[in-house]
Amino acid sequence: MVPCIQARDISLTFKPKNRDPVTALKELTLDVAKGEFVSLVGPSGCGKSTFLNVLLGLLKPDGGEIRLNGKQITGPGQERAMVFQEFGLLPWRTVLANVELGLELKGVQASVRRERAMELIKMAGLAGFASHYPHELSGGMKQRVGLARALVTDPEVLLMDEPFAALDAQTRDLMQLELLQIWDRTKKTVVFVTHSIEEAAYLSDRVIVISARPGRAKDVMKIALPRPRDYEMRLSAEFNDIKARIWASLKEELVTK
Amino acid sequence: MGLKEKYHEYHRPILGMASVIGLILLWELTLTYLIPVDPFFFTKPSLIGTAFREQLFGERLWRDLAISSRAFIWGFSLSVIVGIPLGAVMGWRRRVEYTLDPLLTALYASPLVALAPLLIIFFGVGLLGKAVLVFLLAVFPFIFNTSAGVKSADPLLINVVRSFGGKELDLYLKVILPGTFPYIVAGTRLAIGRGLVGIIVGEFYAASEGIGFAIQNYGDTYRLPDMFVGIIVLSAIAVALTELLRKAELMVAPWRAGEEIR
Repeated sequence: MVPCIQARDISLTFKPKNRDPVTALKELTLDVAKGEFVSLVGPSGCGKSTFLNVLLGLLKPDGGEIRLNGKQITGPGQERAMVFQEFGLLPWRTVLANVELGLELKGVQASVRRERAMELIKMAGLAGFASHYPHELSGGMKQRVGLARALVTDPEVLLMDEPFAALDAQTRDLMQLELLQIWDRTKKTVVFVTHSIEEAAYLSDRVIVISARPGRAKDVMKIALPRPRDYEMRLSAEFNDIKARIWASLKEELVTK
Repeated sequence: MGLKEKYHEYHRPILGMASVIGLILLWELTLTYLIPVDPFFFTKPSLIGTAFREQLFGERLWRDLAISSRAFIWGFSLSVIVGIPLGAVMGWRRRVEYTLDPLLTALYASPLVALAPLLIIFFGVGLLGKAVLVFLLAVFPFIFNTSAGVKSADPLLINVVRSFGGKELDLYLKVILPGTFPYIVAGTRLAIGRGLVGIIVGEFYAASEGIGFAIQNYGDTYRLPDMFVGIIVLSAIAVALTELLRKAELMVAPWRAGEEIR
């Protein structure tokens, strides 16, 4: 079976003007199966976010190949959508208009996209906030809009770049739980970037540890915990073992470089 | 109870008015009781009030205002039409910016009112000369603020629109243009002040009508209360225009309500 996402030897070097070039990714190889929830963890600056942008089609790698359902990724496409860490909501648009963005850019008729966007707004728990502006929302609600906006075009792959990093701990716990429920219902393939070992272990089918810069896939760990998962599961001994294993692998990357 | 709550609701305008009324009272009382000056050399609010009433029912004030506003509106509109597109191009295209920036910065920084005599020679004492002066003063805030607004476009939002398949035109229409709006509003505020200076200076130099000429003329003939009426009318217009701008901004861009004023 062909994996949904196939990355082979992806390398990318940034060459900023008047600065030394920075090799962000070096020969990164990984596969993601259809419907799988995969997290990438790694030290700051290891290129996890860079890799997501390559997947999204905003950055072109210097070397290697990246395929989606066997087709080479050459730019942004409807099968993929990103949830951004800093939300990335257009401040001059209401919640509704923000969620509609993807459909609007696809040229979908206004009445159709409105209906579809309202559906997603409801699903994301934002009913009654459709005509609010981003500045009127809390961080958690902003990211709900970000999630609804990414899901509105019904993409096959959901890319999430530390989506809950800017939220307070309790909001974060709640959003993680809701994300799992949405994932369970929609069967999306998810590539999730995070700094948090706990978050990665809790959400994922597999956790991939990325090495310090230049980033490559160092370790792959299968998380064999049963689903649906709940908050209480995070208190189990099994869960702590998994965290300890991820930490052991990640620790080496943090100290040596 | 009711009165106290009312005060809390309106305490900002109340306190603001208090300083204005306080100054007027101080001025009036000082000149009436402390230093009784010959009204030929200086004047006081009560005399200005009388002059104001007379002018309000006269013809000249209104005629002057109509004359001055025409030049202002022409010059100001032209500065919007030229300044915003020029600023946008300067913000988008680095080469255009590199080419024009030193020249325009020098012009913006220099006291262009010094060119008034020259402009009057070129364009005459009528509408055209004044409109050109207003244009020259008001156009720069539009150019520089629009350019700054375009340059400050959030790269994150650009990436968001690109990631959903947005093309270059979408970036302009959905991210860059709306992001420029607050900058243009701030530029408009500056341009109003500079444009009014343009009108007045133009009419000081060479004119036979208009509010600037009236102020000059009343001053020359020692009709100080009448002169102050002109000044007060002018500042009332400036305040009204700025306030109108603020209202229009909130109506056109309700999302600005939560943003800090730059």
